Amino acid sequence: MLVHLQGPWNPLLGRLTLQQIPYENPILLGTFIFAAILGVIVLGATTRYGKWGYVWREWLTTVDHKKIGVMYCLVGLVMLFRGFIDALMIRTQQAIAIGPNSPGALGAVHGYLTPFHVGQIYTAHGLIMVVFAATPLLVGIMNIIVPLQIGARDMAYPYLNALGLWLTTAGGALVMLSLFVGNFAHGGWYGFVPYFELPYSPGVGVDYWMWAFQLSVLGTTMGSINLIATIVKMRAPGMTWMRMPIFTWASLSTNLIALTSFPVLMVALGLLGMDRYLGTHFYTAGMGGNLMLYNDLFWIWGHPEVYFLILPAFGMMSEIIPTFSEKTLFGYATMVIASFAIGGVSWGVWLHHFFTMAAAPNVNSFYSITTMLVGIPTGVKVFNWIFTMYRGRVRYELPMLWALLALFLLLVGGMTGMMNAFASNDYMWHNGLFVVAHFHMMVLLIAASVFGAVEYWFPKVFGFKLEQKWGKWFFWFMVLGTGWVFVPMFFLGMAGMTRRLDYIPYTQWAPYLHITLVGMAFYVVAVLFFVAHLYVSLRDREKNRVGADAWGTSRNLEWMTHSPVPAYNFAFIPHVNARDEWAWRKENGIAELHAGDYEDIHMPKNTGIPLFLGLLSMGLAFALVWRIWWLALLCLVLMVALIIIRSFDRDTDTTIPAREVERVERAARDGSSGSVPPAGVLGDAVIATSTVRSGSGGIGGNTTSPRPSWAPRNR
Amino acid sequence: MSASTTQKIDPNRLTLWERHYPGHDMISTRTFGFWLYMLTDAMVYAALFASLGVLSHAVNLAGGPPPSAIINPVYAYGETITLFLSVLAYGYSMVALKSGSRGGVVGGMFVSMLLGVVFLAIAATDMGHLFAQGVVPETSGFLSIFFTILIYHALHIVVGVVWMLVMIAQIARDGFSANVVYRLINLRLFWHFQAVIWVFVFTFVYLQGMVA
Amino acid sequence: MFIKNKRSKTWPRLVLPLALLTLGGCSRSGLFLLEPEGLISQTFYHYFMLDVGIMLLIIIPTVVLTIWAMWRYRKGGNGSYHPQWSHSYAIEAVVWGIPLLTVGVLSYLSVKAIYDVNPYNPGVIAKAQQAAGGDPVEVDVIATDWRWLFIYPQQHIASVDELVVPVGTPVRFRLTSTSVVNDFIIPQLVGMIDVMPGMRTKQALVADKAGTYVGYSADYSGAGLSWMHFQTKAVSPAQFEQWVQSAQQSPQHLSYAGFNRFARPYIAVGGDQQIFGQVQPDLFDQVVGEVMRGKVWPTPMAMTENMVNYMKKQRAEQKAGDY
Ligand code: HEM
Ligand SMILES: [Cu+2]
Ligand SMILES: [Cu+2]
Repeated sequence: MLVHLQGPWNPLLGRLTLQQIPYENPILLGTFIFAAILGVIVLGATTRYGKWGYVWREWLTTVDHKKIGVMYCLVGLVMLFRGFIDALMIRTQQAIAIGPNSPGALGAVHGYLTPFHVGQIYTAHGLIMVVFAATPLLVGIMNIIVPLQIGARDMAYPYLNALGLWLTTAGGALVMLSLFVGNFAHGGWYGFVPYFELPYSPGVGVDYWMWAFQLSVLGTTMGSINLIATIVKMRAPGMTWMRMPIFTWASLSTNLIALTSFPVLMVALGLLGMDRYLGTHFYTAGMGGNLMLYNDLFWIWGHPEVYFLILPAFGMMSEIIPTFSEKTLFGYATMVIASFAIGGVSWGVWLHHFFTMAAAPNVNSFYSITTMLVGIPTGVKVFNWIFTMYRGRVRYELPMLWALLALFLLLVGGMTGMMNAFASNDYMWHNGLFVVAHFHMMVLLIAASVFGAVEYWFPKVFGFKLEQKWGKWFFWFMVLGTGWVFVPMFFLGMAGMTRRLDYIPYTQWAPYLHITLVGMAFYVVAVLFFVAHLYVSLRDREKNRVGADAWGTSRNLEWMTHSPVPAYNFAFIPHVNARDEWAWRKENGIAELHAGDYEDIHMPKNTGIPLFLGLLSMGLAFALVWRIWWLALLCLVLMVALIIIRSFDRDTDTTIPAREVERVERAARDGSSGSVPPAGVLGDAVIATSTVRSGSGGIGGNTTSPRPSWAPRNR
Repeated sequence: MSASTTQKIDPNRLTLWERHYPGHDMISTRTFGFWLYMLTDAMVYAALFASLGVLSHAVNLAGGPPPSAIINPVYAYGETITLFLSVLAYGYSMVALKSGSRGGVVGGMFVSMLLGVVFLAIAATDMGHLFAQGVVPETSGFLSIFFTILIYHALHIVVGVVWMLVMIAQIARDGFSANVVYRLINLRLFWHFQAVIWVFVFTFVYLQGMVA
Repeated sequence: MFIKNKRSKTWPRLVLPLALLTLGGCSRSGLFLLEPEGLISQTFYHYFMLDVGIMLLIIIPTVVLTIWAMWRYRKGGNGSYHPQWSHSYAIEAVVWGIPLLTVGVLSYLSVKAIYDVNPYNPGVIAKAQQAAGGDPVEVDVIATDWRWLFIYPQQHIASVDELVVPVGTPVRFRLTSTSVVNDFIIPQLVGMIDVMPGMRTKQALVADKAGTYVGYSADYSGAGLSWMHFQTKAVSPAQFEQWVQSAQQSPQHLSYAGFNRFARPYIAVGGDQQIFGQVQPDLFDQVVGEVMRGKVWPTPMAMTENMVNYMKKQRAEQKAGDY
């Protein structure tokens, strides 16, 4: 053993002992029972209805980019829920533990959570929200939409795509596992050195954090390679760069950021791992280490990362706003330039995360200015969205509401971000609640765009629209919650309150903390409305069936194929003649689908190997966390073996015969066929019922509204 | 900017759908993707070299030996020569690929692989000596990054050697199928990249260390 | 120069808290950043107000424009409809121009502010020093897990979790930490500076008004962080002299060996303050040196699990010992 470990270790089980199962903690015990019951129900139902074959064939082994995207989103949603529960606990703790006379329970001096427990909660909250909720949701949506928007049948690397999904999922699962076996890191999602070194974080928490993070790094990097290769190499004929849909542009710029920044995070975490496992001295205070190195490496990733998250959100807004303004996006070229400007500048600003680390004033000045520069392209985007609505006909349907909420949040978040960038301000409130409120504006903006995008593209993927009534309740309660939680938080920022407190010494802050708790109550109600929204939508799905062009005024290629999209995306690859091709075809009255003789379509074949690699990677990470060396070695060897075996597999492709394509297409068009084609996003079951409801017009004709509103008319 | 309605379009002279669309060129897509992967690896190295820069001050020696005391130029020279010969051999193998000669490709790759193993042997000897003298990564911040860069590079060589073994087997089984060809091209990129990185290792770890 | 300018800060000081007081109903607002009482925080406050003003000048019209566009061009409203209109050089020039201009102005102000308040050599303190003449008070700050030790090297005394400074006199700090990174701040007097193990950083302040101000660590440093706060007493120079003299009478002394025990993890739940009448000279430098050579004060695994028991035990142990 190269390092000194506190606590026992044995070769068979490493550091794992029975005491590491926190069964005496009522909160965790309750969570465990809840998770166990849920698990039993899901597994039981799958068995009961004999769906294992279906789940295995259509989901677990799939390489279809749409299904992978859907699974990414599911992972993101589950983790979003977990992160929300974490937030709820932090806020209640902080609303109780104020002042020396506040009560304490469950071993805590004040409140009901010990510092150690609170630490784990907010660390998990931050990590989960950034890399296991926001990232999977965005990656999932990019996965589904980008190939459709560029008229491709799949991604450049379908197999790698599945692998990325399962690695990310393994990371998320590891975070969940830390609830019940051992504990999680307790110092903040971005880690502190030397606090995360062995002497100060002797338990396994930091190791869980580190390996879960690393898995997501691997998954996301693979995803970015895949998306860039797809966008660069697989666009439909005729789709020149300047005809590319704006969301695809956003995906390209965001994945360029991911591609170049995630490796740096891998190094930042890797060196920390070497310190913790091998006793090296990268980040130690003594022995020639340099703890400031970690901050640099981490934030060289960390800042580009926040733009990695926001650019796709901007892309979604840029799709939704024109559709519901029934108008072309204002300043397309400017939007593209702005996206890349943001991406480019995001590389030169990382030091603003530690203005207070005693850099010379000229250094701080430099980074203060570069940070503010980001505000320019961001501001331009805001104006372009406004001018997209200008001279349009704005329809306030759910996706649009979310996009507009995102716009307003961006104004607040952008303004407060600029205030953070003003370094003399940051000296006063760095690591304080002002910063927390700032980035929550930004992150909620991302959440709002994602909800908007889900509303917007849901019919494309599943063939029916989500209902609007409960969805609007959900929306408005999210707005309420956001106001009530974050307005007081800005005040707490002015109070100089710092983050990560488990006990608040100053009772003057109590009112603000109590108001945020009210906001949390609104959020809880919002979550209930969300569930109702989903439930009612699923129940009434037959009522809400739509054809190809679900919103009637959409503009891009993805609306040129059936909803739900068949496995092969397009029976014929579209030839692109204009920017906003679909809108262009509609304007020129040539919006019908090709009905010629169908051709065989070549597609990648399902494989279970990515799933096994994901499972093994989780085993490997688990073994490393607990320092069970034999298990780690075993998993590693098996992974290498699987990769090599897969490389010898010649049978990786399959062909959908023309007959089959024809059957699916016809079923989608007239819905008369009762048979069940094996394509479609839900595998069996959906395509057959996806009918163009108002009949005659075929796929490109009348879809949802009796009078196609894309027709340019002057009132 | 977008198409204007006033401009009439003749649907009969437009291409709206592609028939018999061959899809993308698999080999070029896959090699492009591999370039992207190499870029990520380059970023990893960039971060490591930046860390080396940060950890190369007197204070980072923490009383341990300075680089000039532990660098053995003979080993460094030997490693350089073997790695470059190996790349040369791989280049020969790619020339043979152009003429479709299985023997040439496998032969070149075999030599290349052997040289890779020789490289690893030299590196292991060098490091073994240092470890035996008690010069280990735990000694100081500087030695931590010193060994990390060397070992990370050596791990790439290990991967390359295994990959070559796999490719030899695949050529023997499949000949030059599209899958095999794109992998050979990617492996070439990978292997050349390791040589390029070695130039940096040589410059920043060895030369600079000896001068300092 | 910004110290005099008290007028500009009156309105938000009244309006902002009042707006919330109607909701909260608490006598003192606790909005420390809006109640600056020191030279540095005054300067911050001045620039902060400028910054907010300029930002609002842009943001408010933008919000109005957005809402106007949303209303005017709603479907069924009476805005004209031009679905193809998507470009205008004039508008593009304006939408790039406005942010560019704003950022230009803000950058200029930001740089100026940074030079005025940066911790290493705050311009406003240098000026105050010149004006006041005399020697600044020096304080060496050592952050342990999880207490603040303030050493007054000129006076050879030290104080735990209580900082006493004379009003109107520049105070210069050197800071280091024993174990992990902390961040030193007294929001009403001075902004943050990281406190790092094995390194020293600097900070400086001038307190304008006598009073008691809270200070704490802003960087997460472990389980005791929430209790790692201290009181800053700004007193008149004469009172400061008195305090020094009475502190020098304290029978407790601090050497490195004692410090070694003092620096073990300790959660100051009681906010227990202590005074050391005599401190080993160069204790600060010795601590920095030891940490650089690899000294650590590790956190025991036990304390991460059962806090209450741990804290009872630590109290018993540490109260008993004399450093
Ligand atoms: C106009 C653009 C923006 C500017 C000028 C800006 C500026 C800043 C600055 C200076 C900080 C550091 C504050 C501190 O730690 O003391 C910060 C923190 C942060 N920002 Fe922004 N920001 C901008 C946009 C964004 C966006 C788009 C996101 C996310 C999607 C974001 C997310 C964050 C996060 C997560 C942190 C805090 C990280 C942490 O400490 O945990 N920001 N921002
Ligand atoms: Cu940033
Ligand atoms: Cu430092």
